[in-house]
Amino acid sequence: MSAEEIKKQLFENIINGDFEKTADLAEKATDDNVDPMEAINSCLVPAIELVGEKFGKKEYFLPDLMRSANAMKNALEVFEKEITKKGIERKSAGKVVIGTVKGDIHEIGKSIVSSLLTAKCFDVVDLGVDVDSDTFINKVVSEKADILAMSALLPITMPYQGKVIEDLKVKGLRASVKIMVGGSPVTQEHAERIGADGYADNAVDAVKLAEKLMKNS
Amino acid sequence: MPIRGLKGGLLNFLSEPDLDAIHFATLEVLGEVGIKMEYRPALEIFSDFGAKVDFTNSIVKIDEQFLNKALSTAPSRFTLYGKNEDFDVKVDPERVYTIGGSSALNVLDLDGKYRPALFDDLIKFTILLDRMKHLHIMHAIVIPSDLEEYGVDRMLFAGTFPYTSRNYYSQSQTGADGVLDQIKMAAVFQGSEEAVRKNPMFTEVVCMVSPLQHEKVNSEVLIEAAKNNIPVYVEVDAMPGGTTPAPIAGTLVEQNANVLAGIVLAQLVNPGTPCIYSIASGLMDMSTGGYAGAAPETNLLHCATAQVAHYYNLPFQGGTGIDAKIPDAQAGYERAMQVLSNALAGTNFIHLSFGMMEMMLSASYEQCVIDNEIMGATFKMLEGVPVNDETLSVDLLRKVGPRSAHFLTFKETSEYVRKNYWVPEITDRNVWSSWKAMGGKSMQQAASEVAKRIIAENDKPFISEDQTKEIMEMARAFHKKAIENFKKNSQK
Repeated sequence: MSAEEIKKQLFENIINGDFEKTADLAEKATDDNVDPMEAINSCLVPAIELVGEKFGKKEYFLPDLMRSANAMKNALEVFEKEITKKGIERKSAGKVVIGTVKGDIHEIGKSIVSSLLTAKCFDVVDLGVDVDSDTFINKVVSEKADILAMSALLPITMPYQGKVIEDLKVKGLRASVKIMVGGSPVTQEHAERIGADGYADNAVDAVKLAEKLMKNS
Repeated sequence: MPIRGLKGGLLNFLSEPDLDAIHFATLEVLGEVGIKMEYRPALEIFSDFGAKVDFTNSIVKIDEQFLNKALSTAPSRFTLYGKNEDFDVKVDPERVYTIGGSSALNVLDLDGKYRPALFDDLIKFTILLDRMKHLHIMHAIVIPSDLEEYGVDRMLFAGTFPYTSRNYYSQSQTGADGVLDQIKMAAVFQGSEEAVRKNPMFTEVVCMVSPLQHEKVNSEVLIEAAKNNIPVYVEVDAMPGGTTPAPIAGTLVEQNANVLAGIVLAQLVNPGTPCIYSIASGLMDMSTGGYAGAAPETNLLHCATAQVAHYYNLPFQGGTGIDAKIPDAQAGYERAMQVLSNALAGTNFIHLSFGMMEMMLSASYEQCVIDNEIMGATFKMLEGVPVNDETLSVDLLRKVGPRSAHFLTFKETSEYVRKNYWVPEITDRNVWSSWKAMGGKSMQQAASEVAKRIIAENDKPFISEDQTKEIMEMARAFHKKAIENFKKNSQK
């Protein structure tokens, strides 16, 4: 298979959401000395953008979006390893620590945001669900995160997003990180009340919000 | 995408014994009370075939044997032809289709103005309705106020037939001549009158009068349509409490005797003529005396009539307009209850289900788009719950297992969703802030935008400009001739 042929297949597999195949294809590409930066920019990014377009036109739906995002992620990991190996500096879109807050085990919404951020070249550290304040804060510090993203699906766990922000303030760390919040009962008003930097009511807007927060930082 | 016929019949208000009782009551009425037929040739046909005919009082009485013999040639399955085969409607007593609005005198236009309908509205409505994917049969939705009404069916033909890909639901106001004029107009597109008679792309409706009367013009149209193999909607427009007994059961009996007598006549004239057992009945509102098309009792009546028609293996047209004046909450609830109940009951043609408001008096552009959405949701429900190895999903449940997980990233989910989930077009499911950010539009505003866009795009299907023009010129000449004949006859 020629390098062009591999890239074409990679592109198609991302469009079709065949995430089981993309890591292997990326390996093949690097074996063929395909420039990983070039592969990301000319193949992965246009593919995921086309997927986003189809989602906007209601040709694709959430399952397609997540499958394609995972396909992208699997290829991206291979290319990034290669980039690190070559010692090339690759600027990520930003580092995000993400999780669902303590007392809340709802995962799907948070995982969708996590996948889409990865697909948009954010460096994502996903802490999963039922994450307490200390775990969030320690990760923000150790990972030097640009953004902390917190999800809550229950009205009773929503206030915990505010608690984490208060704890960051007490430790003098609030200014070091942008904070975005989301989840079904969360509103713009709630985000403002607890002192978050942004809120989005769906996954696609959450990615746009993260991009905006990075620009403003 | 070809028209797909989904099966109804899940909702039954009548039991088997109920249906038998309605049948036997109908036989009593047909045999002992009879039907009044004002058109002498109709009486003669019945008499020739051995029915009991009272020529002095114009009453026809038939017995069970006569009825069964005539009905035995009425087909249960036939095709109503569209302009190409994608728009063919395969009729049987199970599958459910829709028919657009008809004969409104006023319009609620896209500037929010309520005014008399114009010929230009007819064309614009037809262009809009032709793009509504859940519409299967096209009617002429308005009667334009800028045309002389006598013989206007020729002009309705010219303002509708050329602008639709669907089978056209026509009518003749003047009698047999209207049917023949329309065959000539259809032949412009279909190539020859012979081709029209073989695969007619239009149908005729005849409206019987309650209680138990066939007036002259409609009998004449019915006979002429049958002779020419044009399918006929044999319709009765009962008003329970007014023109038929107040109980639904009594109305079912009157409708049944009246419609079956019409279908029998068509079969006697030309055995095998496709006939659709039709009603556009509506409860009489006992506060206003008006026609309550969207009353729950009307819905019950239509659903029950579907069962009665199917008792004779005949396809059934039911459904009617709604009573709201603007596309508001009343319009939404009335239309949704009406079309959902009819679809579930197996009404084969849900008639007047697009745009008709105000007790059949007005048509709304916006409501046409909203009704398409309601119809889409209705058809989704009609698909029911398929249960098979694939949908039971045991393999997938095994694969995922009991753990914190979700099904979103599975190929099975992605494929199933794309193939099966209904995608709303103007229904909003965003939260307040997203909805606000996108303009915070009401459903009426969203529908208005769609209607304006489609009318501006002005896609005219299939037929050439020349053919459209030719049909229009013929229609003008036929209309003029009909008016002249009318004047001549009234001077006599």
